Amino acid sequence: MSDPTPDRRSAFEAEALPHLDAVYRYAYALARDRATAEDLTQDTFLQALRHWEQYRPGTNARAWLFTICRNLFLRQRERRAREEPTETAALDGLAAATQSFAAPPDAGRALFDAPELGDVIRRELDKLPTEYREVVELSDLQDQSYADIAQVLGVPLGTVKSRLFRGRRLLQEALVDYARDAGLLPPPGSDT
Amino acid sequence: MSDCQDVIRQLWEYLDGELPAGATEDIRGHLAACAHCNPQYEFQLRFLEALVKGYVAREVPRPEFVRRLKAALDEIGDDLA
Repeated sequence: MSDPTPDRRSAFEAEALPHLDAVYRYAYALARDRATAEDLTQDTFLQALRHWEQYRPGTNARAWLFTICRNLFLRQRERRAREEPTETAALDGLAAATQSFAAPPDAGRALFDAPELGDVIRRELDKLPTEYREVVELSDLQDQSYADIAQVLGVPLGTVKSRLFRGRRLLQEALVDYARDAGLLPPPGSDT
Repeated sequence: MSDCQDVIRQLWEYLDGELPAGATEDIRGHLAACAHCNPQYEFQLRFLEALVKGYVAREVPRPEFVRRLKAALDEIGDDLA
C-alpha cells in the first residue's frame, strides 16, 4: 500500500462515507435481512478503504461501492449455492408472465391513493427475485443510470433494461392484484 | 413524430431520462396530445412516485451499527498507517 494514509482517509471520508445509507439500503435489497446487510455494508467499506487507490476520483463513488457490495454478496452466495436451488427457472416463468401487462383503466386513482400502499410496495418488492429487485433498487431508489447499473452488475445495457422493466411490471401486477383483492378495483372482465 | 406504439415502447426510458434530447421532445409532444398514451404515462409516473415514497420508510442503518463501522474503519486506518 503506497498511498499516503491521511490523504487516503480524508478522501475516503469525503467521497465514500456519504454513501453509507445508500450502500446499506442496497445491501439490504440484496440480503433481505438486517444482520446480513450490516455485515455486507461493513465489509464493503472496509474493502473500499483498503483498496481506495483503485477508485478514480471524480467518478461515481456510489456505483463503485455498489460494485464492491454486490461482489461480496455474490461471493457469499456462491458459498451457499450448492444447498440452494437456482432462481433461473422461476425467473424465466415470471418474465414470460409479464409480457402482456397493461394498466387497467382508472387503476391509478384507486391504487395510488390507498393509504397502505407503501407497506404493500415494500412487501411486494421484497418478494421479487434478487435479479429484478436489485435493478429496481439501483434505478428507482438509488437513482443510478442504466450505464452505471450495467457497470455495477457487470451485464450489458439491454439486460439492465429488460430486468428493470420486468421487475417494474411484476410489481405493478402485484399491486393491481392487491387492489382487486382489497376491493379497490373491480375484478378483471367486470364492467364499472 | 412518434406513433403510439413507439411511445409506449419507450415510456420507461423516457421517464428514466435515458433518451436523447430529440426523442424526449417527440415523446413529450405526443403525450401532451394523445388520449391513448397519456393515461399509461400517468399510471407509470404515479407508480414510480409511489415506489420512491413507499421506500422512504425503508430501514436505515442503526446508529450502533454506524459507530461499529466507523471504529472498524479507524482500526484499518491505523493498520494502513
